[in-house]
Amino acid sequence: MNVARDVRFVVRMAWRETRASWARLLFFFVCVAIGVAAIIVLRSVVQHVRITLTREARSLIGADLVVQSSRAWTADLRARLTTELGTSVLETSEVVETQTMAAAVEGRGTGTVRLVELRGVEARFPFYGAVELDGGKVYSHDLLRSGGALVQPEFLIEMGLQVGDELLMAGRRFTIRGVVTRDRVQRPGGGIAFGPRVYVDLADLRATSLLGFGSRATHAILTRVEDDNVEELASRLRRTFIRDSVVVRSWRGLEDRLGRNLTMAENDLSLVGFAIVVLGGIGVWSVTRVLVQQKIRSVAVLKCLGATSAQVLATYVLQVLTLAAAGGLLGLLLATVAAAAIPASMLKPFGVSSVGVTWSAALQGIAVGLLVSLLFALVPLMEVRRVKPLLLLRADTAMTARRRDWRSWLAGLATTAALALIAVWQAGSLQAGLYVSVGLVVMASGLFVASHLLVRFSRPLARSPRFAVRHAILSLSRPGNQTRVILMAVGVGCFFILAIRAVQANLIQELTVEIGQNSPDFILIDIQPDQVDGVTAAVTPYVRTSPRVLPLMRARVVGVEGRQTRLVNAEAVRQHGELTREYGLTYRNAIQNNERLIAGTFWSGPLTTAKTPDGFDTEVSIEKEVYDDAQVEVGDVMRFDVAGSVLSARVTSIREVTWDEAQNGGFIFVLRPGPAVQRTSHAFVGFLEVREDPAARVGFQRALVKSFPNVSAIDVREIVRAIREVVDNVTLGVTIVGIVMLTGGTLILIGAVAMTKFQRLYDAAIYRTLGASTRRLAAMVSVEYGVLGTLAGLLGAGGAGVLSWVLARYLFEIDWRPAPILLLGGVVLTAALVSVVGLISSADVLVRKPLGTLKGE
Amino acid sequence: MIELFEVSKTVTSGGSPLTILHPTTFQIARGRAVAITGPSGSGKSTLLGLIAGLDAPTTGRISLEGTEITSLSEEKLARLRGEKVGIVFQFFHLLPSLTAYENVLVPMEIAGAREPASRAKALLDDVGLANRGHHYPSQLSGGEQQRVAIARALANDPPIVLADEPTGNLDSATGRQVIELLVAVNRQRGRTLVLVTHDAELAKFADEMIALRDGRVVS
Repeated sequence: MNVARDVRFVVRMAWRETRASWARLLFFFVCVAIGVAAIIVLRSVVQHVRITLTREARSLIGADLVVQSSRAWTADLRARLTTELGTSVLETSEVVETQTMAAAVEGRGTGTVRLVELRGVEARFPFYGAVELDGGKVYSHDLLRSGGALVQPEFLIEMGLQVGDELLMAGRRFTIRGVVTRDRVQRPGGGIAFGPRVYVDLADLRATSLLGFGSRATHAILTRVEDDNVEELASRLRRTFIRDSVVVRSWRGLEDRLGRNLTMAENDLSLVGFAIVVLGGIGVWSVTRVLVQQKIRSVAVLKCLGATSAQVLATYVLQVLTLAAAGGLLGLLLATVAAAAIPASMLKPFGVSSVGVTWSAALQGIAVGLLVSLLFALVPLMEVRRVKPLLLLRADTAMTARRRDWRSWLAGLATTAALALIAVWQAGSLQAGLYVSVGLVVMASGLFVASHLLVRFSRPLARSPRFAVRHAILSLSRPGNQTRVILMAVGVGCFFILAIRAVQANLIQELTVEIGQNSPDFILIDIQPDQVDGVTAAVTPYVRTSPRVLPLMRARVVGVEGRQTRLVNAEAVRQHGELTREYGLTYRNAIQNNERLIAGTFWSGPLTTAKTPDGFDTEVSIEKEVYDDAQVEVGDVMRFDVAGSVLSARVTSIREVTWDEAQNGGFIFVLRPGPAVQRTSHAFVGFLEVREDPAARVGFQRALVKSFPNVSAIDVREIVRAIREVVDNVTLGVTIVGIVMLTGGTLILIGAVAMTKFQRLYDAAIYRTLGASTRRLAAMVSVEYGVLGTLAGLLGAGGAGVLSWVLARYLFEIDWRPAPILLLGGVVLTAALVSVVGLISSADVLVRKPLGTLKGE
Repeated sequence: MIELFEVSKTVTSGGSPLTILHPTTFQIARGRAVAITGPSGSGKSTLLGLIAGLDAPTTGRISLEGTEITSLSEEKLARLRGEKVGIVFQFFHLLPSLTAYENVLVPMEIAGAREPASRAKALLDDVGLANRGHHYPSQLSGGEQQRVAIARALANDPPIVLADEPTGNLDSATGRQVIELLVAVNRQRGRTLVLVTHDAELAKFADEMIALRDGRVVS
């Protein structure tokens, strides 16, 4: 009975309080709404992508199981594979992917020469999923037979060609017989695509010189197997071919991996939304503190009228929950609009055409908004317990000091723990959740201390001879002014935007330096040993400086016998974790300008005997990274698998490569030339500085296509452009997060102004009675918010500078370049933004007649 | 019935104890009107706060309508106030976010009274504000606010009404209206009325007077 009575009272009072103050509190909960919207949108998008991709896992690899290698299948390997696959395989189909130059025949199209990704397929490709063609044409292998080719639409546009035109690739003519509009089968090799994909018949591809030794190609065997044993078969094949550089992928494995990775991506991305909600939560905490201060008398009155502390506390908790629920619903609405507004072009790469809000995302977002709001409001609301009704009779008994009792501390600790639990829940991982929680605590503490120091350092300005400046600085320390919270909220948004821009500027500058005036702008690959002189002669008329041609062999480390590191075979190397990737090796007789010898002795000439005096094939010079990461030292012996043959080499020196100056190639391993090295099959790579005129750039590619069709030219500028696009996309994503955070910060700023308006109205009225004009008051407000904005900008810019340095130094391992103009611009813009928003929000304060305010007091 | 036995209040001021009410003993019979008078700082408001259970005495016992309040917890005191004590303040202390009608309604909602709406309307009618119920405190004059406060104090029909300088913040004409209302509370409704006042005109309506000086009862 009493409970029902209490609940009725609490609900009614909460409604009345909300009715009276919702407008002042609105901004904070809009801030929560933005975070909720971010969680809902991010989760919904990733959930859609996950559902689509996992559903299409078979289509993505085009088979049940794919066995692939970067080397051509040897007869032995094929035989072993056939034995292993046995009767469990229903059918197989081979695919080979490589790159080559494509050009139109003389007199057709734009005359452009383009590096393309060539996919040679057999008749049954693909087992799953469909290759969709333009104009409703049905894909059939017959389209490819006898010199047919299928291309992508952008390729046709770039080359100025049409279906029916001929294409020159690897010295052969192909006829374009269709346009591929949708093709789900992924590149087996992974990584970045060097150009548009062109489909040809595998038999035609094999007939070219493209698959010669040293060429970069991925050879895959697609298989269809009994569904129930696909993973078992995949595991068995992986174990069997562990030493053969063979990769085995199954659609089930892909489905699991996609599901796992995308769930992880969903959880990780939702943490971005969580961080925004926490920012809103800080606003809620701040506003609740002010609310409690403003409501002290009301609380005392309620207690005088017989209300218990629990009833009063419940009233304000319910008020916060009501507003948070409203914020959550607003967030849901925002998310729905945002999800509908995502352009189809952004979703297309993920195989999704449109996204809508999912129920689970909506529930999670709203729940996080409610919980975070409640947790942040709880500690300041606990203060209402300490309000004594006696203060209505004796003002000196108002809440005693700021001393916290054990309940407040306990509530604070419980709040922090609960926030960490929410982070763990959102991250879907204890470790990630704790990292984020600790990160947020560290960031919030750092920002709090920095904002405290900034306000402190600005205090000398309070002695300024200018009235407006003096009073603006004093206002920053006004009780309940929420200066630090505004600084933190606006500063965080500014920090995100400036940090990512600074990192982007550093990366792009680094790329620009690497691809400088005197850097090669084309790299020629797959030059066969007997083509070196011919290629050099063919390109010489088009280049600014003589081309540099280096031997290049692709190899894996298959053993180390050293003092500190002993890896007996390829499996041991794999388990060790370092040295597992495929390396590009070269051989030469001298150290380069961008290299510094730090240990041992570099050989001065080729090895003239079949073996070194101690019985190894040759000597090797290693880069410092190998010494640092894998503890390989001078005197150790390394074994390399070069195209199936093993080469042993004694480490005789350690070099440090200046990678910034490695425009002409930087190598981790350099071999001493000698009979054994010369015997290994290898190709050459060429670095060219082609003349700037377009005729030279097209002319040299045409010359190459004509005389050396197997040699591919990679346009470095295009790669830079592709990398730049990736960097730009990441930058755009993080900038959007920054803008959302800055919007949240601005809302907190507007809310803070609204919350402290009564105090400001009173102050303004007093100033007016003392003779201050509206102009002077406006100047005071502008300067106050200008200073606040400048401090927030400095906070953001300082943090951005530090973060960009850390990322440049430790993550990207590039030289850090401060971006003073960017950071300074950020400070100025933030100051202007905060100043204008503060001034507009305070318009009422500036125009209100003083008498009404003073009478009201 | 209000009973005080050896009630005193000592606080710490500037690190040393300061007695603002020396041991005091008196009784106020049910239905009586008592005025507590004295200069500023004599301990009037402290005494009223102790009777209302808003503060705890340093020594002594207080009982209201037979209930000893000095040993009650904050929560029980709040409940007791809601049922047995109505308080009128010098500065009205209406809840600014509530209308006049809702202000009168609140004590009844807290106490879980039956049909609070009709009673709130009747009380507003009694204090002459039947048409002002939907106004917020900021839209009412000082006199009107104090009349709402009197209606609120009577909401749960408490046997005791305490008033702290009820006319102290009003002009004389408005103050007179408030005095008439309070006198009616005592004479017509038979409620025990304890007034803290400087106002001689108000004090003369009381049945008894307790004069305080420096925390001691002097008459």
